[in-house]
Order: sequence, then structure tokens, then C-alpha cells
Amino acid sequence: MGAKSSNPSKGFKRVDSDTFVVVFSPSEREVLVNLSGQLIEILAERVDVVDEDPLAEMVGITGHDSPPDDAVLLRLLPNAYADPVESAEFRRYTESTLRAKKREHAMHMRTHLVEEDESTISLNEQGAQAWLGAMNDIRLALGVRLNVEENSYDYFELLSPEDPMQAVFAVYSWLGWLQESLVNTLMVSE
Amino acid sequence: MPSTEEQLDELTDASFFLDRPWITIVWDDPVNLMSYVVYVFITLFGYSRERATELMFQVHNEGRAVVSSGRREEMERDVARLHEFGLWATLARDDK
Repeated sequence: MGAKSSNPSKGFKRVDSDTFVVVFSPSEREVLVNLSGQLIEILAERVDVVDEDPLAEMVGITGHDSPPDDAVLLRLLPNAYADPVESAEFRRYTESTLRAKKREHAMHMRTHLVEEDESTISLNEQGAQAWLGAMNDIRLALGVRLNVEENSYDYFELLSPEDPMQAVFAVYSWLGWLQESLVNTLMVSE
Repeated sequence: MPSTEEQLDELTDASFFLDRPWITIVWDDPVNLMSYVVYVFITLFGYSRERATELMFQVHNEGRAVVSSGRREEMERDVARLHEFGLWATLARDDK
């Protein structure tokens, strides 16, 4: 699992029982708009297979029974069984719903950032949950692309500052810190 | 309508008489934050913070932990919810 990272900025704060606020710089906001957009895009690559049976379509059977080829999509939409046959059956009935949920979270985050031009973002608990999911999915996707492992922190720290991967890792670490601040805020009420 | 053969399979399936034959397993991954995993276990299963933390450390240190057990359909629901939260989870028959 990923370790804590630190950041001098403030992260999420709960101001009352149903209000969470966070302040972003314009560049932080831009990063989040961009990454949530990329998440929506990659999820859209996995389109539903149109089933000829309208009932099947209605209950969310997508027809996808093989796992995604792309490693990021496979991490976001993982196998539920070790056995490929059982996994395929489960996927056929559930993947569409899972994909829709992940898309919904990313859309929620992106729409909020694009439509409200204030530096302070204010979320209710439901919105905070959606953001939490979206941030986690973005980190999972970045983690796959960066090949993040248990002790990656040291590895990326040693890369040359010109290495583009170091910049991506910095964003990944920042997101981890941001997500952690939201988790801590949400847990206070537990 | 299942065939007689399928019905017999169901009956002779060892799990038919067992009370809690399926388990949900969460696997360690290097991305999910420890605090987030604890949060998910509390939110999803209603575990105490102590129990959730214990399970999180089991995942982290041993590579996996059984987080729930029950009927197959229930475990499929748990796995689906864990995937929604981005945890790496699978279900399996309990071999113990």
C-alpha cells in the first residue's frame, strides 16, 4: 500500500456536518480537470457491446466477458475470480454498472471544477464521496502507468528533474496527499 | 428452467449444506492508501476502526486478507462494491 506523503498546503477541511471545502491554485485545478477528463476518456474506450436482447440491455448485461487488454482498464475493472470462466460470467453482468459508477464520479469532479470558477471548492458529503472515488481511480490509473511499487518513492526521487516521469510522480504523490486529507476529514465523523 | 442435471449439481455441490462457504479476499496493491483502505472497510462492512485497521495491516503485511464470508451472491456484492472503491478484491470458495 502507498505510504503517506506530505504537503505544505491545507487539503480538505470539514466546515460543518455536510460541507467539505478545499482551496486549489489554478494549476492544481487544471491538473484535476485534465486527469478527470482522461479518466472519463479511458473508461469510454470500453464501450458497451450492444446486445440484441433489450431485456439483457436493460439489466445491464454488456456482453463484455473478456478482461480489458489495457492495464489501466484492467486495474479499474478487475477480475472478480481467479478462474477466467467464472470471472467472465461475473463481468458480463456487472462491468457496465461498475464502469458507469466510475464515470459518474469522474464527471462529478470534472463538472464541479469546470463550472465553479472559485478557488475554493465546496462539496456536500455525497460530492465528497464522488471525489474520493475519482481521486482514487486517477491514482490507480497513474500508478499503473508509472509502474508504482511499494518503494517507488525512492526510485522517483532519484530520477533527473528533467525526466517527465518525475513530474507525473509528483502529481501522483500530491493526489495521494489530497486524498488522504479527504479520508481523514470523512473519518472524523465515523 | 434448470435441467435436472443442473439441479443435481446444485444439490451435490458441497456448498449447498455449508453455512458460509464463500469468502471475499482483498489483495495488497502499492497504490491504495492505508487510511483509505481502513475507511473503505469501515464504510462498507461497518467494522470498528480497530478491526478495519487490523485487516488493512493483514493485507499490507501478508499480501491478502479475508474481509467477509457468506453466501456466494453476498460475496459477489461485496466484491462489486470493493471494486467500486478501487480495492483489488476477488471471491473464492472457502477451502478451510
